[in-house]
This record gives sequence, structure tokens and C-alpha cells, in this order.
Amino acid sequence: MTGRVVRHVLVALVSLLWLLPTWLVVVNAFTPTKQYTGSPRWWFSSWGLFRNVRAAFSSADVGQGLLNTFLYATVGAAVAVVIAALASFAVTVMPIRRPGIWFWAIFIGTVLPLQTFLSPLFTGYARTGLYDTQYGMVLVYVALTVPFAFFVNRNFMMTVPREISEAAQLDGVNWLRMFLSIHLPLARSALLAAFIFQFTWIWNDLLFGITLSLSPNVRPVMATLADLSGNYSTVGPPAVLAGALVASVPTVVLFFVFQRFFVNSLRLTS
Amino acid sequence: MEVLTTGTKAVVTRTANRRSEGPVRAPRQGGVRRAVWVGAFLAPAVALVAALLVVPFAVTAYRSLFDDNGITARFVGLANYRSLLTDPDFGRSLLNTVMWVVGTLVLPVLLGLLLAVLTHSVRWGAVARTAVVIPYALSGSATALLWTYLLKSDGAVNQTLSAVGLGGWQQDWLLHWPLNTVVMIVATTWQSTGAALLLFLIGLQTIPAETIEAARIDGAQGLQMFLKVIVPQLRPMTVVVVGMSIVNSLKTFDIVWLLTQGGPGTASETLALTMYRQTFTLNRYGYGAAVSVVLTAVVVAASWLYLRRQVQPQRGGAA
Repeated sequence: MTGRVVRHVLVALVSLLWLLPTWLVVVNAFTPTKQYTGSPRWWFSSWGLFRNVRAAFSSADVGQGLLNTFLYATVGAAVAVVIAALASFAVTVMPIRRPGIWFWAIFIGTVLPLQTFLSPLFTGYARTGLYDTQYGMVLVYVALTVPFAFFVNRNFMMTVPREISEAAQLDGVNWLRMFLSIHLPLARSALLAAFIFQFTWIWNDLLFGITLSLSPNVRPVMATLADLSGNYSTVGPPAVLAGALVASVPTVVLFFVFQRFFVNSLRLTS
Repeated sequence: MEVLTTGTKAVVTRTANRRSEGPVRAPRQGGVRRAVWVGAFLAPAVALVAALLVVPFAVTAYRSLFDDNGITARFVGLANYRSLLTDPDFGRSLLNTVMWVVGTLVLPVLLGLLLAVLTHSVRWGAVARTAVVIPYALSGSATALLWTYLLKSDGAVNQTLSAVGLGGWQQDWLLHWPLNTVVMIVATTWQSTGAALLLFLIGLQTIPAETIEAARIDGAQGLQMFLKVIVPQLRPMTVVVVGMSIVNSLKTFDIVWLLTQGGPGTASETLALTMYRQTFTLNRYGYGAAVSVVLTAVVVAASWLYLRRQVQPQRGGAA
């Protein structure tokens, strides 16, 4: 009985601790730029959000940036997850010599510090004509997100009982069919999780956005927003915050949907 | 893996003298066909990583052997590495990075694990989960602005402290080492616990209901159930979370860059920041590249040390 109470209190405390800063973001995004004093507000002073959002949208091309980012995050994460699933199937299920080496050949991508890629990638992109193109952005995002998606999928596929694939092999099913009809559906939740994580990562990326793109037709929204906070004086922090809040809506929505999916599938198993 | 290979061998020998025509029969044939199948599955991932990540890194590593200011480059061998060793800023930066690794292992990973299990057992757990996960979905610029609000000398934390009569506890949170690093680790915890929480939730799904049921019948409860049943069963996912936490904390950049820019001075710099500053602010491309090579070596060593023990036994165990 006491255990139950302690659990409830703990969970309540943690939620409160986590919600407080989130609350601050929302309230301050609603503060009109003119009333902004530099110190934070704890309660809505007016409904200035829409004016702030409008300021953010008009002084930088946030709308186009959102569209670009949506394209990169959806296509990039989806392609990366498929490629990663294929590779994790290869190292966990297929008879392959030295799976450890292949694991590292892909996993190394999460290990290398992002900043080391910047200057060589910039040079390479400039030479190959990929610089400041949507293809180039999708390509770099796929490459950047494959390794982690691979890691999650591989560790999930290792929990699939190998009797299943052995039975399929005895039935003479080819690898692609085995992958499509057994392992892909089984790893559904891991794939979805990898997609969500990689979508969020691409959505929030700033580093590669500012390095590899320039024109508004290509630049992702976070880079556009960064330009906005660069000219702080003209729009003011509330507008930047409002822009950032709007730009965060899609990922928050995604997590909400995701959350329901998890609660449901958890109920099934426990 | 062993079992599978021998299994395949058995299949191959059984059908050795029955050569099938179409490519779809590949699992039954050894040698080239099989290599082609494996290659087709692996190639996209390996090629992308090699072309867009490994090659650029190699270019940077090569650059670390030069005294390079972006305009002229002169080969200096290992001189950049030698000067790293005597650079006190580099030592501080290394120490900060270690603090990040330890801090983010203790806070987000442990909290994520506890919260995944706790919220799972409380009826309104979904609400709590949402509260913890939302910050993970927020963008870096929003997070940075928010924590600036909170931590500035006249920010929300200090205002609150004086409002509740704890004015004596007020601090210049971001201006003194090591407090600034600790505070930024807390900020990161706020943002990244949600990710660990979600990964652990996926892990919880893979625990068979019968296992929990059997343990319950055997009298396992509460803490005992958590430590003896849930934690060991979660191991494959724990490897992911801990592995990612180590790697990401070694590469810590964004939040420090946005909150203190590594300051005051270079007091809160991590290795990634030192590298960035040397390369892009001071135009010492060669020296910055040397820092990034050292950083990479540390990350690779740390993750290899950790994963070596985690990746192999499972394979051996399955054999």
C-alpha cells in the first residue's frame, strides 16, 4: 500500500518538474514583444502569440523552411529506416562472416563527431553540385540517421527467436520474402521508434542545415529560425520563441501519436 | 549466429546436389549467391556511411597532420598532437567531457529506466510520460532560449528562490565552473530523459508476459521484480540506451554552445566545442582536426569497450 502511494507521489513530482519549464516556453511565446522585459513571465499577459508567429513568419521565410524540413524529415527518416532494417537483417539473421566488422562499419557513423564532417562535406558538396540542393540535404540526412536506426533495429532483431528464421529457411523461403513477411512485421515497433527518433533528429538539426544550404527553397526551418535569432533586436525573443514553438508542433504531435501506440501495445503484452 | 550458420550449412548440404535455377533459391546455395544476397542487404547502409561520414572524417584526420590556417597548409607531422598534451584548456575540456559522460549516464538513463517502469504501473502514467517526452520533441533553439530564461542571473530560478525565501541559494548558475557544467547536464536531462524512457518502453514490450507472471507466482514483487526480472530482461535495450548516452555525451555540443559558448573563457568547453572553436573561430584547421581525432579515438574506445562485452556474449550465448 505504501509502495503504491510512493509511486504515485514520485510520478506526480517528476511530471511537475518536467512540465514547469515547458509551461514557461509556452507562456513566454505568448508575451507580446513590446511587453517583453527580459525577465520571464509565469502567466499569460495577453494573446500575443499570433502576432509573434506572424512576426517570425514575415521576417524570415519560416513557412518555406517548414515545408523543406517536412520533406527532409519524412523522406530522410523513412529511407534511413528501410536501409537500416535491411542491414540489421543481414547482420543478425543472414549467415555472414564476421558480423562484428559489418556492425562497426555502419555503427561507426554514430560515433564520429558531427563537426568533423562539416568542412569536408561542404567542400565535397560544392564540387559535386550537391550544395544547396534538396537532393543533397536528403542524402546527408539519410546517411546521418542510418547508423542509429540500424543499432536500434539490430538489437531488436536479436530478440527474435532464431527458430523462426530456421523454420523459414527449411521451408526454402528466400531472404527477401523472409525479411518482408517475418522480420519486418515483427520489428514494427522498433522500426516505428527508429523512424520517430530519426524524424525528430532531422527536424531539429541545425548544424547541417546552416552548412550545406543557403537559398530559402532549400534551407530547413531550424536554420531559418537561427537566422531569425541572429537579428534578435528587430523581432525580439518572444517572436523567436513563438517561431520555435510552431516549428516544434509537428514533432510534439508525432510523439503524441506514438505514445498512444505504445500504451496500446503495452497493454497487449502485460 | 553459430546455430544459424550450422543450420544453413545443414540445409545447404541436404540440397547440395539439387541445384535450383532462380535467384529466389539463394539460401539453399552457398558461395557467390549468398554473398550477393548479403551484399544487397548490407550495401546501401555501408556505402552511405562510408561515402558521407567515414571519408569526410578521414579527410579531417589527414588535415590534423598539417599546420593549416585555411589558406596555406604546411606538413608538421604530429606537432598538433604534441601541443594538445601541454594545452591546459584541452585538459579542462577533457575533464568537462568526462563529467558529461558520467552525468548523463546517471541522470537521463537511470531516470528513463525508473520512469518507464513506474509510469507503466500507474494508471495515469501516460500523462507523466507525455510530460517527460515533450521536451525531447522541442527544438534545440527553443530549449536553449528557455534555459537561458531559467538560469540567467535574474532568471526564473533565482526569482523563484528569492520569492520562497531562499534568496541565499541564488547563484550565477552559468558563470562558475564546475557548477555551469552540472547545471547544463541537468538541462540536458530535462530534454533527453524522454528518449531513454521511450526506448525502455519498447524494451518492456519485448518481455514476455509469461516471464513476469512466472516471477510473480514465485513471489517476486516491487523492487525485487524490478532488479531480478525486469532489468535483466531489458538488457538488449539497455545496451542501446547506454551506448547512445555514452556516444552522445562525448559529443556534447549544442546545449553548451547555445548556453555559454563554452565560457566564461573556456571553462565549460567540451571536446566538441574546443574543436569547433579552434577550427571555425581561430581558423586553426590542423589543430582543430587533431582535437577531433582525439575525440573520435575516445568515443570509439569507450563504445568499443562497452559494446565488446555486450555484443559478443549474446551471440555466443545464442550459440
